[in-house]
Amino acid sequence: MSYKIIKEKLAAKESILLDGGIGSEVLRRGIRWRQHGIEDAPDVIRSIHVDYLEAGVDVLTTHTFNLTKRNFINFFRDEEHMALIGATGLPAKAMELCRTAVSLAKEALAETGMAGTVPLAGSIAPVMHLFRPDLSPPENDCLDHHEECVEVLSDCGVDFIFFEGMNNTREAQAALQATAGFDLPVWMSFVPGMDGNLLNGESLSDVVDLARGNGAEAVLVSAGTIPMITKSLPNIINGSPCGAKAIIGRYNPPSWKPDFYPRFEDTDEVSPEKYAQEVNNWLDQGVQIVGGSSGTTPEHIRAVRKVIG
Amino acid sequence: MSYKELKSRIDAQQVTFLDGGIGTEILRRGYTWASHQLKSEPELNLEIHQDYINAGADVITTNTFQLSKRSFRNHFANDEHLEAIGVRGLLDRAGELIHESVALADKARRSLDRDNCLIAASITTLEWCFRPDQSPDVEKIYDEYLEELTDYADAGADIFLFETFNSTPEAEVAIKAAKEIDIPAWVAFVPYQDGRLLGGQSMAEVTDAMARNEPDVLLLNCAPPDHITAGMEQLAPLWDKPLGVYAHVGKFNPPEWQFTDEYSADQHLQECKHWHDLGATVIGGCCGTTPDYIKKLTEFFS
Repeated sequence: MSYKIIKEKLAAKESILLDGGIGSEVLRRGIRWRQHGIEDAPDVIRSIHVDYLEAGVDVLTTHTFNLTKRNFINFFRDEEHMALIGATGLPAKAMELCRTAVSLAKEALAETGMAGTVPLAGSIAPVMHLFRPDLSPPENDCLDHHEECVEVLSDCGVDFIFFEGMNNTREAQAALQATAGFDLPVWMSFVPGMDGNLLNGESLSDVVDLARGNGAEAVLVSAGTIPMITKSLPNIINGSPCGAKAIIGRYNPPSWKPDFYPRFEDTDEVSPEKYAQEVNNWLDQGVQIVGGSSGTTPEHIRAVRKVIG
Repeated sequence: MSYKELKSRIDAQQVTFLDGGIGTEILRRGYTWASHQLKSEPELNLEIHQDYINAGADVITTNTFQLSKRSFRNHFANDEHLEAIGVRGLLDRAGELIHESVALADKARRSLDRDNCLIAASITTLEWCFRPDQSPDVEKIYDEYLEELTDYADAGADIFLFETFNSTPEAEVAIKAAKEIDIPAWVAFVPYQDGRLLGGQSMAEVTDAMARNEPDVLLLNCAPPDHITAGMEQLAPLWDKPLGVYAHVGKFNPPEWQFTDEYSADQHLQECKHWHDLGATVIGGCCGTTPDYIKKLTEFFS
């Protein structure tokens, strides 16, 4: 159980390095964004994982962010409509892709000889677009959705559940509740808004307390720019395990797709060295877990590794 | 052909041909449709328009489905958030691409010396077309439509084709804005297997609402042939003004399209003949149809 290594590091107040962007990296490497690139380019996804492992991560994250059944249903009026006009096999597609995504991460661990030493975090996104807290469905829907995601990732053998990019308190609570029947550690990251609070304006420190009180072993902030992340840090740092990772570059979504599309431009505005400096500042402030959100690359993570030592 | 000439043809119940799928045609030709490819692959856009004109389309449609300022905005929590993390110029992009799309359609018709082919601006619902539950508050969207339609008008579109609408209230706002700009409005609704709109309204509700707004052509689109038939059977007896249809063939495989051989161009023609018998005179193809589908239609009906 490689999570034990992380647990010990957390207890010993050692820094923990996560990976960087995966979806944004798939696009940066020229792969078409459909089915997360998993069907078209499994080799590319595996090599992104390998590159992060070789850059020195302590945790590897699965390429399963936003990869859910709901994500496909969202394009249709409802499940019946999807069955009538949707592609063959669509209802089962997301969960199949999730299983493949976990396998690709495991293959990367095996290939680099790091299986058993680097734990695998099963990434789960908010039910709806991570930047649209207003679209988050009622609590019961969130609960059902997240339970289904936790179940498949648990069944695939991830070492812990990593809810990434939670943007409102109600859904965060439902997500934590969804892990109740599973014997897996849980981490949760929150998207900050401009003012250092949660993206929907709710108190970040309150939702962080709630997450800690409901069993989250680490809380993080993610999917904000460096200034947004930096501003939010006082709301999550309290001596318990906490982390931070920022977006670099600028989000460049297409017009028509209603879900998150991880295309980031102008990422060269923040060089790996510059990013590592920012991360170093966060570590000085008491952040223990660091990595990168969309736009960051294995080079950024390698630079951070150098800083952490 | 001026719009006036086209309208007199349509009013005289002569069959008028639309084009077929554009987004799906871009996919079928091996490209992603993620950013409509208007600036990245203008030649591809041009060729598709030319192929449809050569197939006999009287009206070609801009490659602008779901291209709007709101669709970009929808990826962010609010405008301040967009400003902080979004790529620069994002809120100007829809307007720029709208101009680009009309220019490409215009270039296509000129290149073939077919100035008589008219350009329909493809405009769908402000929120996702297949999600009636996400329909915007119709009290608040008039200015948004007006702004978008003004871009098409400035760029030189001949017709506003409001397509894949799932309910009448939003369509009424769109038509109202079109009237202010004084460019003809055609409205296409998505039917469902029960012969009602995807949003649940009956065709009687549709015709009541449309009688108040008088689009030049009322159409059904973006549904498989059996749903189109179910809708036409309900709609045609209630509407004595021009009717149209364009069905999709294949399956929606978000974010792309699954091409199937369930409805070949020949079988699609058979369906179109049936819809023509039911009363449709403006006929084309939606997602998954290709220039071959349109060619079959024009060869048969001409």
